[in-house]
Amino acid sequence: MRALRIAFALMLVGALVLLSGPQQPARAQPQTIKIGILFDQTGPFSAAGSLNGWRGTKMIIDYVNERGGVMGKYKIVRVDGDSQSKAEVAINEAERLLNVEKVDILAGVYSSAHAVPLAEKMEKQKKFFWITIAISDAVFKDRNLQYVFRPQPNSGLFGAVSVQYIAAYSQEKLKKAPKDLRVAIIYEDGPYGAGVAASNDAEAKKLGMQVVLKEGYSVSAPDLSSLVTKLRAARADVLFHTGYNPDIALFLRQAKEQGLRVKAYVGHGAGHSQLDKLKEAFGNEIEAFHTVDPVAAQLLDPKTLKPGVGALTAEMVKRYKAEFEPNMAVAAIAPHVSMGFSNLWILLNDVLPRAIQKHGGFGPDALAKAARETDIPEGGTMMGYGVKFYGEGQPMRGQNERAFVAVFQVVGGKFEIVYPKSVATAPPILPLPASSPWAAR
Amino acid sequence: MIDPIFIAEAALNGILLGGVMALLALGLNLIFGVLDIVWIAYVELVMLCMYLVYFLVTGYGWPIWLGGLASVAFGAVLGVAVHLLIISPLLNSAAINQFLATGGLLFFLQSFATFLWTTDHRTVRLNLPIIEVAGMFLSFARLIAFVVAILAMIGLYLFLRHTFIGTAIRAVSQDRDAMRLMGANPQRVYVVTSAVGGAMAGLAGALLIIQYSVHPYFGAAFGPLTFMICVLGGLGNMVGAVVAAVIMSEIISVGGVMMSTEMGYVIAFVLFIVMMFARPGGILAKRE
Repeated sequence: MRALRIAFALMLVGALVLLSGPQQPARAQPQTIKIGILFDQTGPFSAAGSLNGWRGTKMIIDYVNERGGVMGKYKIVRVDGDSQSKAEVAINEAERLLNVEKVDILAGVYSSAHAVPLAEKMEKQKKFFWITIAISDAVFKDRNLQYVFRPQPNSGLFGAVSVQYIAAYSQEKLKKAPKDLRVAIIYEDGPYGAGVAASNDAEAKKLGMQVVLKEGYSVSAPDLSSLVTKLRAARADVLFHTGYNPDIALFLRQAKEQGLRVKAYVGHGAGHSQLDKLKEAFGNEIEAFHTVDPVAAQLLDPKTLKPGVGALTAEMVKRYKAEFEPNMAVAAIAPHVSMGFSNLWILLNDVLPRAIQKHGGFGPDALAKAARETDIPEGGTMMGYGVKFYGEGQPMRGQNERAFVAVFQVVGGKFEIVYPKSVATAPPILPLPASSPWAAR
Repeated sequence: MIDPIFIAEAALNGILLGGVMALLALGLNLIFGVLDIVWIAYVELVMLCMYLVYFLVTGYGWPIWLGGLASVAFGAVLGVAVHLLIISPLLNSAAINQFLATGGLLFFLQSFATFLWTTDHRTVRLNLPIIEVAGMFLSFARLIAFVVAILAMIGLYLFLRHTFIGTAIRAVSQDRDAMRLMGANPQRVYVVTSAVGGAMAGLAGALLIIQYSVHPYFGAAFGPLTFMICVLGGLGNMVGAVVAAVIMSEIISVGGVMMSTEMGYVIAFVLFIVMMFARPGGILAKRE
C-alpha cells in the first residue's frame, strides 16, 4: 500500500513537471511589444478629449509600425481597453489587459479619477504604467511610485499658470490690482478638478487675490442653477472653471440664462479645449474664452523645436485629417490628439529603445530604469517641453519636471496662445468683449 | 450671509426643476402603476426622443415645436414597441427577469446610440430671452418646460379621470386580476398605457433638448434621480411623484445656494434614505 502511495506521488510530480512545459533557460526576446491602451471609447469622457487621446495614440503606433516598429524591429501590438468613463471599469479593463491580454506596458488614461487608483494598483503589481493625459497631482504626490511615469504636465501647473496669467494682466486690462480682484473657482469634484482648483486657490492667495467662492460639483449633476446663483451673489470678476463635458455646457447655458456676468472666464483643459464641441453648443459666443493645456503640437513653430520633431507634427496632422476629421481646421485639432501622439512617442522613441539596448528588454524594471534616465531637452518633443522625471526622494516622483502648459484664448474663432508672454501668438482679449453673453456690463 | 433675493431665486428655480422632474417621473409612474414593471430604460427613451428633435431641428430645419410634436409621437411608438417586444413576453415572469430585461434594454440603447451617433454631445442652439424679475433671473427654457409639464400633468389627469380608456387604466392599476375576471382585455390597456407613458417620455425629450446637450449617456444624470422621485412619491402614485419631485428639487436648489452644490444633493439623498425607513410606501402613503 505504501509503495502504491509513493508511486502515485511520483506520478503526480511527473505529471506536474510535464504540464509545466519545457524549461527555457534563455528565452529569445520576442519581436513584438504588447501595449495596452486604456481610454474612454464610450461615456461622457469620450467626447471630452479621451477619444482624441486614443486617436493620437493609435496614429503614433501605426506610424512606428509602418517603419518596422521600435528600433526598426520590435512591432507594437496595440490592445485597446474601454474605460467607459467609469473608474471601476477602468480598473477591470486594466486587469484584463495585464492578466488576460498579458500586455507588457499599460499606457493612456484620460481621467484622473481613473489614473489615481490605477497608479497604485500598477505599482503594487510592479507593472509599467505610462500616463499620457490625466493630470492630477494626486497620481504621484507623496506616493514614491517606481513604475508609473507621466510626461504630461500636472494639475498644479494648470491651476498656477491660469492665475499668474490673470495677475499679469490684471492692472493693465482689468483695471484692478491683483489684490483687488475678486476671483471664483468652480470645479468638478474628482481628482482632476479638485487638483486644479486647489492650485488655483493656492496661487490666487499667494498673489493676494480675493477668492470669493471655491466650490465643487458632481460632473453628472443634472442642475447647476444653484451654483450660478451663488456665483452671482459672490460678484466675482474672474471665474476659474475646471470641468469635463457636458457639465461645462450645462453650466455655461444656465449661467447665461441666469445672468452671470464676469470680466474673464478661464477654463482648464478637458472640455474647455474641445473647441469644436463648444462652438457647436455656443457658436461665436465663446469668443475670448480661455483654456489651459500643453500646447497642441500643430500650434508650435517647428523652427523652435529640435530637428525632425516638426516633421512628426506634420505627420500627425496629415494622418488625423485623413483618418478622422477631414474638414477640421488644423488649428482646431484638439490638444488631446497631440498628447496621445507625442507622449506615447516619447515612450516608443526614447524609453523603449534604451530599455532594450541598455537594460536587457522591456520588462517593468528595464522600462522603469530607462524612464529614469530620460533626459530630453526643451524643444525635443512635439509639444515643446523636455522630459525628465522627478526621482527618488521627491514628492512627485515619476512626474515630468520639464513639462509646461500655456494659456489659450479663443480669438477669431480659433485658439491663440496668450500666456506665457514669451510664446504668445496673440495679445489677450480682456475683459470679455461686450458681445459675450457672459460679459460684465 | 447670502442675500435673501438669491434664496428666493433658488426656490423659484427649484420649482421649475421640479416641474421637469415631475414630468419624467409621471410617465414612469403611470407605467409602473398599471403594469407593475419599472422601466429602467425610461430615461434612455427620453434620450432617443431628444436625438430625434435634434436631428429634425438642426438637420432638417424643422421648427422646435414641430420637432416636439414629432418627439411625442415617436415616444408613443417607442413605448408601444418596448411593451410588445420586451415587456409583454415577460408580464408573468419573475420580477427579476423583468428588471433584467429593461436593464438590458438600457445598455442596448446606450450602446446603439453610441454606435449610430458617437459619443458627441449635441445641442439645439436657440436664442431664448433672459427673464429678470425683481433682481431674480429665471431660465426661459425651464419656464417653458415647467408650463408644458404642468399642462401635460393636467391633461394626463383629465385623460385618466374622464375617458373610458383612462378609467380602464385606473381600474387595471387598482386590480389587474379583477379586470380580467370581468372579461375585459388588459392587453389593450397595457398598450395604451405604454403609448401614453412613451408619449410623456417624448414630451420630456422635447423639453429637455432645449436645456441640455444630448449624448448616449444622458440617462446617467437623470435616471437615478427620476427613480428616487418615483420611489419617494410612492411607485404608481401620480400625486406623490409630483410632490416628491418638487421637494427633491427644492432641496437641491435651495440647499445648493445656502450650503454648497454638493451638499444640496447630499441632503436630498439623505432625506430619501430616511423616508425609505419612515415611509417605505412613499410620502403620501397611508400609515399601516
